[in-house]
Amino acid sequence: MIGAYTISAICAPAAVLAVELTVLRTGILRRGRFWAAMAITLAFQIPVDGWLTKLSAPIVRYRPSAVSGVRWPWDIPVEDFGFAFALITLTLVLWERTRLAATAGYE
Amino acid sequence: MDSWQYLLVLGACVAVTLPLEFVGGARVYRRPKALLATLVPVLACFAGWDLIAVHHGEWWFSARYTLGLRLAGLPIEEWLFFGVVPVCALLTYEVLGRGMDSLKSRAGKRSRS
Repeated sequence: MIGAYTISAICAPAAVLAVELTVLRTGILRRGRFWAAMAITLAFQIPVDGWLTKLSAPIVRYRPSAVSGVRWPWDIPVEDFGFAFALITLTLVLWERTRLAATAGYE
Repeated sequence: MDSWQYLLVLGACVAVTLPLEFVGGARVYRRPKALLATLVPVLACFAGWDLIAVHHGEWWFSARYTLGLRLAGLPIEEWLFFGVVPVCALLTYEVLGRGMDSLKSRAGKRSRS
């Protein structure tokens, strides 16, 4: 049985990518700057999320049946990276969309 | 002090990325309308996900490491998380844009001279 968080952590990034590719279409996924920002933000997620999820003194705890049990690096549930990828992608896509809308408004 | 842990983690994220706005030249905090237009839908989607997951007991938050203020069942820190983390990503994205613009304009000047 696949945990609910595992399923959502796979579906959420796919859903956000689908929204970008079919509805918002900012073209941000073709830009190196997007992937560079993603790589940097996910790298900083490791110390921050690592602190939040460390098993010795957890700030956030997960129901074992909701997750795969794969925790890496440190004690971070791998699902958190799916959550973060979706969160960051949606943020940058909407920001870009807002900028494009503002630019279009001036024309 | 323990109960401040989650808030301090978020504070550290803000403190580390703040120079990107004021030294790095990213314009995120200074575009409050665009920021709000971005954060509101993000908050709706991800706090919604969070609320459902917490409701189903998929994850929960330590009473020891949070202040104890809750809004709709989520610690106040978790609500702030959905402001802080997107802003960190936006500052990174904007600063990279500035860097690429200045590289381009430098390259442009060189090709003109």
